[in-house]
Amino acid sequence: MSHIVLTAKPISRTVDCRALLPLALQGKTETEIGAIKLAANLSVADAFEVSVDAATEATKLTFKNTTSSHQYIGFGMTAGQLLVEGDAGDFLGAQLQNGILICKGNAGARAGDRMRRGMLLIEGNAGDYCGSDMMAGTLGVLGSTGVYLGYGMKRGTLLLAQSPAPQATWIDCGLHKLPFLKILYKSFKLLDSRFAQISSQRVQRWMGDMGGLGKAEILVIQP
Amino acid sequence: MQLNGVDIDDTFAEAFNMRGTRILITAQNLRWAYNAANAMTGFATSVIGCGVEAGIERELSEDETPDGRPGVSVLMFAMGSKVLMQQLETRMGQCILTCPTAAAFAGIESEDMISLGKHLRFFGDGYQVSKQIPDATGKLKRYWRIPVMDGEFLTEETTGMVRAIGGGNFLVLGASQAQVLTACEAAIDAMRKLPNVIMPFPGGVVRSGSKVGSKYPKMFASTNDAFCPTLKGVVKSELDPRVESVMEIVVNGLTFEDIAVSMKAGIEAACSLGKENGILRISAGNYGGKLGQHHFKLRPILSGEVTA
Repeated sequence: MSHIVLTAKPISRTVDCRALLPLALQGKTETEIGAIKLAANLSVADAFEVSVDAATEATKLTFKNTTSSHQYIGFGMTAGQLLVEGDAGDFLGAQLQNGILICKGNAGARAGDRMRRGMLLIEGNAGDYCGSDMMAGTLGVLGSTGVYLGYGMKRGTLLLAQSPAPQATWIDCGLHKLPFLKILYKSFKLLDSRFAQISSQRVQRWMGDMGGLGKAEILVIQP
Repeated sequence: MQLNGVDIDDTFAEAFNMRGTRILITAQNLRWAYNAANAMTGFATSVIGCGVEAGIERELSEDETPDGRPGVSVLMFAMGSKVLMQQLETRMGQCILTCPTAAAFAGIESEDMISLGKHLRFFGDGYQVSKQIPDATGKLKRYWRIPVMDGEFLTEETTGMVRAIGGGNFLVLGASQAQVLTACEAAIDAMRKLPNVIMPFPGGVVRSGSKVGSKYPKMFASTNDAFCPTLKGVVKSELDPRVESVMEIVVNGLTFEDIAVSMKAGIEAACSLGKENGILRISAGNYGGKLGQHHFKLRPILSGEVTA
């Protein structure tokens, strides 16, 4: 196991990060990671400073200094923990299969798109179509969310600290105290995240997207 | 051998291999955790008639439960895994699902996992929600949230099933019914302080110890006439003229050592009342050593030699 840190270099183009996943990079040296091609004329070494700490026990990958130019971070991730110490571009955690992805900054559009399992926690704001076509898992946002939240969402949970703009295809189920949130918050306590500070089990529950399967939920944390 | 003037018979309790599981039941407060647990462990004294033997192991503080609420742990034992699974599901559905604010979680880790809420989730009629949440070790655990009229019923998907032992026992023989019952109460109080064991009978005490078979063909167990005080002189009695009452304490546990340690604590507590309070003998129930796989020899156990 190792903790890999990718510190973004200033770059004037978008960077497709879908090849950079905790499990995929495990066991690789700094040189090997640096040689990975992100595009025809862009390698990891061109876009990031690479550092590998082989002493840690966890399968962990940290992005530093990223911006909205860094897209597809955590795309299809299947295991481990991914931390974004910066902003993220579109499709953050899209098609997430498992593991925990924490973004300390803002995320672009389609965060958690088609997410299947695992946990995606965004401490900043999320862009439009957050949780679009999401199949399951838990997506948390402490900041604001854009338009078309949970568009086509099938199952899973959107846990929000701020009330979203109302969507016609989501049904308000009222205010509730949900016991599972205590267990969820307990798991947050183990993370390096502002999500660890949440404590209220009282939420406003919305069900939807009724334009799709309609078995997903939006939980808005109440003070 | 004597303990505080009480004769300890040179005999053994005969116990059986069973399958066991533990469930953690939580609720808004202890009152409702007990309501759920008492219902779940009701009519669960002996596998002879109940299918399963179950009891409350101990109370759990808020920092010992997965959801941070007060609760109790329950142990359930059955002769086979199939019966245990069936009884657990039935009792979960009738006693925990129905009890206001109650939730149920796995209480034991094992390679053999059995359904806790795995099938019960269908009560949600399609509105049930699955959640996978990592525990303190990072291991993912699956929970089911089932919509019910008081809010949501939360349960873990599975719990562990382990090999266990049932039928450890000892008999308290005394000069009167009241004195024997007092000694048994002291024994139960001492045994309930120990982990990994339950005493499944009412209040932990059995008055109807049984023997194998009966004069009636349809009965496969009947009263233990050799230890029935009112039959002294009529049958081949095990009792001397001074004994007017006999009660049994049956103990099930996760391991041989758990049972032996609890038997020792129970016998010592019962004997602490002494001969002057009418406690005359301690014996144990067995079937000649031919039926059960485990023999709990009273004298070695009381001497602190715990051996299988």
